[in-house]
Amino acid sequence: MRDALRRLGPAWAALLALFATIVVAGLMLVAGGYDAGLAGGALVAGAVGSREALLSVTMVRSVPLILTGLAVALAFRAGVWNIGAEGQLYAGAVAGAWVGLSGGDLPAWVLVPAVLGASAGAGMMWALVPTVMKLRLGVGEVITTLLMNFVGINLAAYAVHGPLQEARGVFPQTDPIAAGARLPALFPGTRLHVGFLIAVALAVALWALLRWTRAGFVLRSVGAAPGAARVAGRMDARRTVWVAFLTSGALAGLAGGVEVSGVTFALYEGLSPGWGYTAIAVALLAGLHPGVVVVTGILFGALEGGAGSMQRVAGIPATWVIAVEALVILSVLAVDQLRRRVVRGGVHG
Amino acid sequence: MTQSFPARLHGITKRFGSVEALRGADLEVHAGEVHGVLGENGAGKTTLLNVLAGMLPPDAGVVEIGGEERVLRSPRDAWHAGVGMVHQHFTLVPTLSVLENLALGLRSAAWRLRLPLADISARVDELSRRTGLGVPLDVNVEHLGVGDRQRVEILKALLREPRVLVLDEPTAVLAPSEVQNLFGLLRDLADGGRAVVLVAHKLDEILGVAHRVTVLRRGRTVLAAHRSEVDAPELIRAMVGSAETDPIAVGAWKDDGTPMPRVPGEVVATLARARVWDGRGSWALDDATLDVRRGEVVGVAGVEGNGQHELALVLSGRSVPTEGSATVPDGVGFIPQDRTLEGLVGDFDLTSNVALGLHRDARFASGPGGMLVRWSALRAQTRDLLARFDVKAAGPGVRAATLSGGNQQRLVVARELEMARDLLVAENPTRGLDVAAAAFVHGELQRLGQADQPPGVVLISTDLDEVLALSHRIFVMVRGRLTSVPDGARSREGVGALMLAANHA
Repeated sequence: MRDALRRLGPAWAALLALFATIVVAGLMLVAGGYDAGLAGGALVAGAVGSREALLSVTMVRSVPLILTGLAVALAFRAGVWNIGAEGQLYAGAVAGAWVGLSGGDLPAWVLVPAVLGASAGAGMMWALVPTVMKLRLGVGEVITTLLMNFVGINLAAYAVHGPLQEARGVFPQTDPIAAGARLPALFPGTRLHVGFLIAVALAVALWALLRWTRAGFVLRSVGAAPGAARVAGRMDARRTVWVAFLTSGALAGLAGGVEVSGVTFALYEGLSPGWGYTAIAVALLAGLHPGVVVVTGILFGALEGGAGSMQRVAGIPATWVIAVEALVILSVLAVDQLRRRVVRGGVHG
Repeated sequence: MTQSFPARLHGITKRFGSVEALRGADLEVHAGEVHGVLGENGAGKTTLLNVLAGMLPPDAGVVEIGGEERVLRSPRDAWHAGVGMVHQHFTLVPTLSVLENLALGLRSAAWRLRLPLADISARVDELSRRTGLGVPLDVNVEHLGVGDRQRVEILKALLREPRVLVLDEPTAVLAPSEVQNLFGLLRDLADGGRAVVLVAHKLDEILGVAHRVTVLRRGRTVLAAHRSEVDAPELIRAMVGSAETDPIAVGAWKDDGTPMPRVPGEVVATLARARVWDGRGSWALDDATLDVRRGEVVGVAGVEGNGQHELALVLSGRSVPTEGSATVPDGVGFIPQDRTLEGLVGDFDLTSNVALGLHRDARFASGPGGMLVRWSALRAQTRDLLARFDVKAAGPGVRAATLSGGNQQRLVVARELEMARDLLVAENPTRGLDVAAAAFVHGELQRLGQADQPPGVVLISTDLDEVLALSHRIFVMVRGRLTSVPDGARSREGVGALMLAANHA
């Protein structure tokens, strides 16, 4: 058992964590008096049971999860505990919607990049505040990014109640964005949009950056062991934190812009059901590996996509999925601790 | 004569992997006395105290407390036996008040929903009156200075009424005036019948407070005496040992004391009146002026904590002086004293660890602006270094944390020599290594001088033997100041006398 655990690679560790989650979640369902088998079946059917479910529900949901998951993974790799993807996503959504609304009849090749660029920029600005507070004032980013989430969520609420509210002035939402500001569908007749390709391309790019470039190596070193990075590597940790933090914010902001531009075509309150928080589970389960974030992003997309069907068929509240997401985080951390303890024991023994 | 000691350790042995920290050490603690434990770095002082406090189980040897043989499996066992420890690193909760911290772990506080803070407060007041240890109880620990925090730690220990109070380097974090207060307190505690055991790096501190001293050297007790029976030179001799024990292969100097021939090279690094502020009210490095030339080994001896680390960081280009100037070359290698914190990334594989620093080297870069890392070339380089420096590892892909301490150090030395085209700075490069690994490091430092275009070497070490054997020129470092050692004083006694003189200057 000890040897097996010691040799456990990251992929197996993730699978073990997933297995533990399924077992505990099943026990919780049974304890709650539900039919766990029925619930699981409904969840799977709702998530991947048909082409429609897979392409229009699961994959569509996975896009913001992959993008925010990448944001979290990048920051965590650099030792920056950015818990603020949710707020950065909202900042990006507001900026993207604003550009999309004021686009008029500009062509798509101008407007789409403008929307996505504005959302990424806004996410970056949202991360700028905690970055400056961390590097200039020494304030921990866990608190500041978390608090900035509330500001971001309420910024979006203010926008749709005030300056960006629809012309009719009835609902707290914006008018539909310009036709040229919308991302094209990937397959005709489904809701899956080009944003998925953008997310996958960014995942590959980040993977290559971390794996093959000098900057990526510096980022991983600073995150893994700041002392060794500074002394042995003569690396500039502050600069690395700057770049990683702001890029992380940009990725999360992009998630908001892509959602507005690809799915909702409008901004409204409650645009995100907490993707920026789920992103932490997505990133941790992926072992902070950008390529794997695509897989875990789709997995969580399926979980959220299947939740509705589970509610209809087995009568289990869809919010129960949130508990499962929390379980994933706990399981990942537990497996990680277990591995560490065993490995450490091995070195001294 | 059978005498009952409050605490007695006999023949204690303790190994960590391949390192023998203690090799049959003894310690006899007398009631009503302050007992100073002396020794160079790595002599085993902290390990011995940890054995006494139940933190580490010894591999062999006898622990007697109050005349009874005991097996201490945990600090809790030691507490029950009457041994309390004040740690080098504080164990207080910053966000709790002083009183709450004092209540933590008290038996009377266990299993209660509400802490009996009023009771504890009364006891603390009474204890404060007796000992003169005054600390505000309602303030959160995070708002206290280090001196006050330490008083809280001591109060915490005293609340459990230990017969033996153990302090591991209590003066390391204190300002001079606080040190005097602490020593007054320790004396008072001893006068009250307790036994106090402490480790301190600075000899004059121990001499000022201790009734009795024990000197450790390389894991053995080499001297145990009443303070009145020994003087400073004798203690220094005991600490650094005599030439007969553990000789180091002689490098820079011949047996008759004349320097080995060497070609004086150009100057590769210069310090001009460099000073580094310590942030606590004094200069950690004070007015250092130094030229280092190619092919020479400049040795810097001194007791830990006299500014050596700051000197190393400045010379290796890791930090800039607060005042004065430092000119250091690009091709500088640095062997830091803490290889696990500053030398290696334990979670990275060996190739990535070799890449630390070398990632900037043009040989391992490709693509536009050299932005890509040539991992294949680095892997080949790592394989080559593992073979040349005889690092015992399964291959370049294993994690650095899985290597033994000696092999980790070989890896660091290998990498830094690769980097040291112009200058190598080594800070306690053999600390914690076994004899074979230490000999390897010494050999590499000596071999460096035989290269066609040798780098200059600065060897900063608390191991006097090492400095004496390997250096062409020697400096003593005391309170941030560098003092040149004249050739006539190149001996343990000579250097020791210089240290003392500088200390009292």
